[in-house]
Amino acid sequence: MPARLSVPKALSYAALCLLFLCVASLLLGAGDIGVLPSLQALLGGNDEDARFIVFELRWVRTELALLVGLALGAAGVLLQAVTRNPLAEPGLLGVSAGASFAVVLAINLGASAASLHMGVAVLGSLVGCVLVLLVTRLRGVGDDPVRLVLAGAAFSGMLGALSSLLLLWDQRTADEMRFWVIGALAGRPLDTLDWSLPGLFAGLTMALLVVRPLAALALGERVASGLGHHPQLARLGTLLTVAILVGTATAAAGPIAFIGLIVPYIARRLVGSDIRRTLGLSMLLGPCVLLLADVISRLLVRPYELPVGVVTAFVGAPILIAVVRNHRLPTL
Amino acid sequence: MSFTSSVQRGALVLAATLSLALAAHASERTLDTAYGSLKLDGVPQRVVALGDSALDAALSLGIQPIGTLASRGGDDVPGYLKAKAGKIALVGSVREPNLEAILRLQPDLVLASNELSRELYAKLSLMAPTVIPKGNSFQDWRATYTTYAQALGKAEQGQQRIAEIDARSAQLRQRLPQNLQVSVVRWNPQGPVIMSSHLFVGQLLEDLGLHANELAAAQSQKPHSDVLSLENLSRVNADWIFLATLNPDGRKALDDARKQPAFTRLKAVADDHVVTVDGQIWSSSAGYLAAQQVLDDVEKALLD
Repeated sequence: MPARLSVPKALSYAALCLLFLCVASLLLGAGDIGVLPSLQALLGGNDEDARFIVFELRWVRTELALLVGLALGAAGVLLQAVTRNPLAEPGLLGVSAGASFAVVLAINLGASAASLHMGVAVLGSLVGCVLVLLVTRLRGVGDDPVRLVLAGAAFSGMLGALSSLLLLWDQRTADEMRFWVIGALAGRPLDTLDWSLPGLFAGLTMALLVVRPLAALALGERVASGLGHHPQLARLGTLLTVAILVGTATAAAGPIAFIGLIVPYIARRLVGSDIRRTLGLSMLLGPCVLLLADVISRLLVRPYELPVGVVTAFVGAPILIAVVRNHRLPTL
Repeated sequence: MSFTSSVQRGALVLAATLSLALAAHASERTLDTAYGSLKLDGVPQRVVALGDSALDAALSLGIQPIGTLASRGGDDVPGYLKAKAGKIALVGSVREPNLEAILRLQPDLVLASNELSRELYAKLSLMAPTVIPKGNSFQDWRATYTTYAQALGKAEQGQQRIAEIDARSAQLRQRLPQNLQVSVVRWNPQGPVIMSSHLFVGQLLEDLGLHANELAAAQSQKPHSDVLSLENLSRVNADWIFLATLNPDGRKALDDARKQPAFTRLKAVADDHVVTVDGQIWSSSAGYLAAQQVLDDVEKALLD
């Protein structure tokens, strides 16, 4: 696919877009505080209600959307690069399902501390990643993007069945579990950001380390080895990175599907498929898509709210179909 | 001719005396249920109560059901009925009654809730007379309770139980401050929902002269609102807030809620007018025993 935009240009457009969406996220909400009062509060107005809603509610969820979107956008690009599959998406492949199942299991066993959620979620998504890796090593599956997604669907289905089993076991988990089926950005505990930031930084640092080996791997295993990279090590490192990013995002906001599909799709359309070009852009586009979905989720059913996971699924499903329908599936 | 007519007359007199005698023992009765009228006879010995309200009714009338369902959000008999229910077989959950387990108990009467599907009703009716009260959960709780009482052959006692609640409510109403507004809120992990004021608890609170908050009164189609945006949390505000979860430990819900700045800003919270209550009673059950608990909770919160 030819690059249509130069990277700096694409990055600056995305940054502009992100800035615009951040402001929109601070100004729009399901409540009675409209755009103008919100703007006044943002610029230092004295209306206490407006200040509270803008700074205590919308500000916090905007920050969370930035963090989660960044993690999921980066994870999507990495997962697609390592599986060489444009349909690879943490949500579709069961990585998010692994993370949330692990959390549900932990809740079921009596855990409740948020910090524990993150470790557990990372572990769960790591198991999901390893399974993905194993499946791609199977003959005939690894080369076929759609089959990999089918394997992921089967894995997610199995985790769904296990979750139902846990539910039957212990109805008490039911209330708390519903959150772990479809993620949301609203009303998360206040310290969510504090404990998920280290996870994000760890994930991003590792992402920077694996970019070059991954780009080399895209040229084939032999070339990568010839360039001095260790293919298997690069793969494992990438999957670990994806696990940390998805685990962090899932622990922070529950499973949010399709961000990891939508974002790399747009990024490739803008700058081509080289991961050295798409990774940075995806880190900006991820928060853009999530913020947009979150703003929509607040406005659709006022005075109530939809979980943002519902909205991303609505946006993501058509893109999934578009990619699958495209006969010339780009090989990564 | 005169012979046949006198035989007819004799038969009529006999029938009249018989039915009078039967009525006195309350053994033959015709119930008006959701799926038409149902004739019952005799005192049921093996009652299966599907749902908290049915179990509440049976236990409050001194009848020990042999089987019941795990309550919503739990895996056992609801906590407030546990001691009274004693050893009782669990035959599934509210979502999925287990027909085979029910059949194994060989019930002679099944009391079900009005949420039961028609298909399940048809199958249960093959096992035993199955009573589903008319209406939905917005029905006056007294009507549902009365139907269960009639089915159990305890119509008179049922009326007494209702009269007890009405009398206690009227008495409590005298002692409560006037013109208070209250709301019943459930704090789920996804966020807060407000319970409709037209359900069992709402009806009781209204009898106490407590006003429903606007949003709760607007929920006339669904038992509770959708998950409310935290930006709109002020709409659950009232003079007193009763905070419930489906799990008996409402404390945990309160802990979650208290961490949300939107919640701590509510006036009721600032006034320390938030009461944690058992959601199994306050949001999913109904009946005499539940009513006594609700009145206890209100009395304790507002008068002590």
